[in-house]
Amino acid sequence: MTTAKASAELVSRSRGSKAFRRLRENSPFLVMLFPAVVIVFLFNYLPIYGVLIAFHKDFVPGDSILNPVGGWVGLQNFKNFFEDVQFWPLMRNTFLLCIIGFVVGFPLPIIVSLMLNATRGRRTAKILQTIFNGPHFISLVVLIGMLNIFFGHYGLVNNIKESLGGERTQYFLQESAFRPMYILSSNWQDFGWSAIIYIAALSNVDPGQHEAAILDGASRFQRVIHVDLPAIMPMVSLMLIMSIGGLMGVGYEKAFLMQTDGNLGVSELISTYVYRKGILNDTNQSYATAIGLFNSIINVVLLIIANTTSKKFSNNSLW
Amino acid sequence: MTVIKASKKGPIRLTKGDRVFYAINAIVLGLLALIVLYPLYFIVIAAISDPDAVLKGHVVLWPVDITTSGFARILAEGKVWRGYLNTIIYTAITVVLALLVTIPAGWALSRKTLPGKKFWMIFFIIPMFFGGGLIPFYNVMSALDLTGKIWAVILPSILSVWNLFMTKTFFESSIPTGLLEAAKIDGAGEYKIFGLLVLPLSKAIIAVMALYYAIGQWNSYFNAMIFLQDENLYPLQLILKEILLASENTTGGSGETILEQYRMANQIKYVSVIVSSLPVMLLYPFVQKYFAQGVMIGSLKG
Amino acid sequence: MKRTIAVIIALLMLAACLTACSGGDKKDEKPAGNAAAPVSGVDALVSQYGFQWKDTSAPILNDAGAQAISFTVYSSKNASAKDYNDMKIMQDLYAATNVNVTWNNVSESIYSQQKNLIFGNAKDRPDAIYHAGMGAGEIIKYANRNVILPISDYLEYMPNFSKILAARPDIKSQITSEDGKIYALPRVEEMGLLEFPNLLFLNKAWAIAAVKAGAVAGVTEEDIKDGLALTSEQMEAMLAYFRDNDMNGNGKTNDERPLNFVYNNWQGNQCDLFGMFGLNDNLEHRVIVDGKVTYTVQDDRFREAANFIADWVTKGLIDKVSFEQSQDNFLANGKGEELYGAFYWWESKTVVSNPDNYIVCAPLIGPHGDQTVCVSNNPEISTGELIIFASVPNVEVLLAYFDRYYDPIISAQINYGPIGIVYEEQPDENGKLVQKPLPEGVTADELRLQNAPLGIIYLSDDAWNNTVNMEERAQLRLDRLKLYARPYKPAGVTPVPNLSFTLQEMNTLSNYETALGDYIRVNMIKWLTGGGVTEDAWKTFQNDLNGRTHLNDVKKIYQDAYDRYAATK
Repeated sequence: MTTAKASAELVSRSRGSKAFRRLRENSPFLVMLFPAVVIVFLFNYLPIYGVLIAFHKDFVPGDSILNPVGGWVGLQNFKNFFEDVQFWPLMRNTFLLCIIGFVVGFPLPIIVSLMLNATRGRRTAKILQTIFNGPHFISLVVLIGMLNIFFGHYGLVNNIKESLGGERTQYFLQESAFRPMYILSSNWQDFGWSAIIYIAALSNVDPGQHEAAILDGASRFQRVIHVDLPAIMPMVSLMLIMSIGGLMGVGYEKAFLMQTDGNLGVSELISTYVYRKGILNDTNQSYATAIGLFNSIINVVLLIIANTTSKKFSNNSLW
Repeated sequence: MTVIKASKKGPIRLTKGDRVFYAINAIVLGLLALIVLYPLYFIVIAAISDPDAVLKGHVVLWPVDITTSGFARILAEGKVWRGYLNTIIYTAITVVLALLVTIPAGWALSRKTLPGKKFWMIFFIIPMFFGGGLIPFYNVMSALDLTGKIWAVILPSILSVWNLFMTKTFFESSIPTGLLEAAKIDGAGEYKIFGLLVLPLSKAIIAVMALYYAIGQWNSYFNAMIFLQDENLYPLQLILKEILLASENTTGGSGETILEQYRMANQIKYVSVIVSSLPVMLLYPFVQKYFAQGVMIGSLKG
Repeated sequence: MKRTIAVIIALLMLAACLTACSGGDKKDEKPAGNAAAPVSGVDALVSQYGFQWKDTSAPILNDAGAQAISFTVYSSKNASAKDYNDMKIMQDLYAATNVNVTWNNVSESIYSQQKNLIFGNAKDRPDAIYHAGMGAGEIIKYANRNVILPISDYLEYMPNFSKILAARPDIKSQITSEDGKIYALPRVEEMGLLEFPNLLFLNKAWAIAAVKAGAVAGVTEEDIKDGLALTSEQMEAMLAYFRDNDMNGNGKTNDERPLNFVYNNWQGNQCDLFGMFGLNDNLEHRVIVDGKVTYTVQDDRFREAANFIADWVTKGLIDKVSFEQSQDNFLANGKGEELYGAFYWWESKTVVSNPDNYIVCAPLIGPHGDQTVCVSNNPEISTGELIIFASVPNVEVLLAYFDRYYDPIISAQINYGPIGIVYEEQPDENGKLVQKPLPEGVTADELRLQNAPLGIIYLSDDAWNNTVNMEERAQLRLDRLKLYARPYKPAGVTPVPNLSFTLQEMNTLSNYETALGDYIRVNMIKWLTGGGVTEDAWKTFQNDLNGRTHLNDVKKIYQDAYDRYAATK
């Protein structure tokens, strides 16, 4: 139905039968796209009216979303958030954690996939790949549990540190240790898993290109840079744009589990703040939705910037 | 990996620079493997050690006071086996449907001649950023009459926009346009080109997508928790989560009971990871097989 | 681009419209009524189904009523509990009342996820939620929207509960909302255990060794027994001795942990240490002193105490891990080889392998001679345990049924398990319930958790004296508190009870309290683990409390609410 609508629009825009013929020629693509459109429409678009909750005074479950009990309050909830004493610290903490995480975490799977691809033993490469996927399957509670055991006051790291003549450090109570622990553990968990898509892309590199490069006298390293990397560049651009677009979308669970009084100054993120407010006082769901929506808007802006930049400097863009 | 084949066949001996490159490569990857392996190994020994010893930091290289009570507790629950079966069923159906939806849609989106391409891209991007929250989602599912049915777990997971875009990008960069044009000149229709030419060249992306969707479904429990009432339909992850929370729950117990529950919960954490992920980790090599085939090998067949 | 956006907005609107039309978002829709019970009004119930509520030992409905009227109650349950429909106490209640209740059980974790959805799904709600866990704010909001029933309008059908309210105005005012109505039934289990979350335990053998070595002035070997009252100076010497010597004899002098606790835990926390300076601290730092809401962090003694404690941390007398460990870690480290010299917890049995090696101490006596304890705000009255939806037909019957839960004999069975499984059919000569011998291979706890739903009850002094004995461990703890905690609480000091706030007050609290609490927490740990607080830092802290963190606004709200509470009481 939506497809028909879009096509109709296209028809009205074009003139003459030439465009119509082109549409007919390409209609198989619309058919192929159709199931995905239906799924997204049903499960993503239909519930989207829930964003309206952000403009309620104080939504509680059971209220009509389209017809708020306390009336519409416009941008009041957003205003309240901007005026919150915690607003700037929250923005700063969220942004810094995400941007550092991105800078460290984005290149890692790419480098690893290139390195795996350039490994001489085919068997070794396969085994390494399997190993690297392992951490992806570890649940959050276990990951945090291990961090506590390894980095606790009497943990492995401190034991080693002390035996080397150092002082024990309370990593969990230090602001400066929070971001490194959070980011490195996240990357540790997912670099192998994220590398899979690049490895798949690398497997479709034309061997002829490598052979030609070898004849030209290129070293293995040069071939990584001039043959392999360009081959996965489109995928890299895609991931880059999408990651930047999702930059601020960090969930509360992990940061919340790692939070202590000692690191609260940097570990309090927008998402954890909303969550903790909900535990301590009853949540105002409208307020929480407004904060979520605000976060999404920042992400959209970032996405648009990333896409425009990417379009300018390479030919890769989402739209 | 095709590369390696080529270089092995090739007459060229390794230069000094190459040898250094391979050495550095091997060392870095080896270190990385150690960093990854130790915690994985730790989970295994923690799962069979005395939970107090684990918390006290006494478990470092070898299991301490080996006990299999965590495994016994989990595997004794009949629900766990039922959960395995459910998860396998959900995962299998999800993967099949997801591939049927994602791969053709990815191909369509990768074509410049797709009518309204820009519109469709934005159509798919919007829901990545804006969601309505749980209550409207529940209302929609309930209006579609999906609540309480296994389709509530499966249908919402058969399309991930990330995966769709990856597929699209793969097609854009990995299918040689020359082949397509040749096929067109031969008079092949779009469906035929997709089915007979594109798909055989796309084993790698199909394998990756199958893997991503499978693991996504395998590890998920939220929709099941919200939409399924019948415990017999619960997937494995939800059952493991329930067992873990049940052990952490302390309402009404005496000190000893609470203590025993805490100890159990601390062990079950580790056991759960092994029980739920070992089977799928072992599957990875089978998926990996498809990465090794380069585009040329595939195209020779077609 | 513009056109695309226009199309997408159109699509979104279409989506919204579709969902709205598909019935996904209907407004509160009154259920069509109980089809099986076409009666309306209490008179009809009385005449048709023999509804009676005055005699609390007779059936509530006749057999026709048992057939025609039924209720669905949604409840989370403990993982080890049986399905409530299969519980003997529930079947006994049906037999005694003829009120047919179908229980819909889910696990506690699933309930917490589904709670909002139950309320959100106006078309298909249960009749009541048991173990509802309703916060005060939720209750007000749903009450304003007429979603939940004002139970206090129906008190005449609840003779047991009314009697309790009449006898206990303090309970009444704790569960009454700002509009003067009661919307949720409470759970009351008054044993007097929760007010004091800490006891100080000391390693007997280590203490004796320290005394023998002459390390602790003014203490003899005979003094090392339950009730020992040490001055801060003696304690410091004791802990220093533990720190420096190989107390557990394993050849290592550095693995002893002199004083241990779990920082900011609900029990076994650091608060009693502040008692050395006369402060009745707790996790919220909020306590009632002579009818005034008081924040301990505004007291200059707090600074002195923080510096004193920080000094012990610096000296290694307080184990640093106390500030980062979880309860699990604390408990695990108590097992096996003895590491703890002294620790705060509510009992010693679960903490250490050999509890007999540890004595209970009286609170420490501070440098100025102060000796007092932490007074926690953990209430023994949970206010939001059961709610009933407003649109339920024949709600009088359901309330008369739940009223039975407040009968002492029923309360005891709801809490500990039913007569016939846990208790003997015949009470003892004093009329108290008698424990049955345990079936083989089952612990008392397992039996209780399987067979007792817990939930709405009223167990207070009256019940402990006449109906049921406290469990042994509760009794032991009570005895200890009587000796080593209660005497050290000044007369004018009480915990902050459950208070009722107006919606506006609630909003103010929700705006300020998280940030205020965080500000205190962040500073406090900095001081305690960082060597103390300087004069300047303390001044800034005080300014910030009154300034940007709005402590005084928060305090005023609590004071107002407390004044209202005290007035009705």
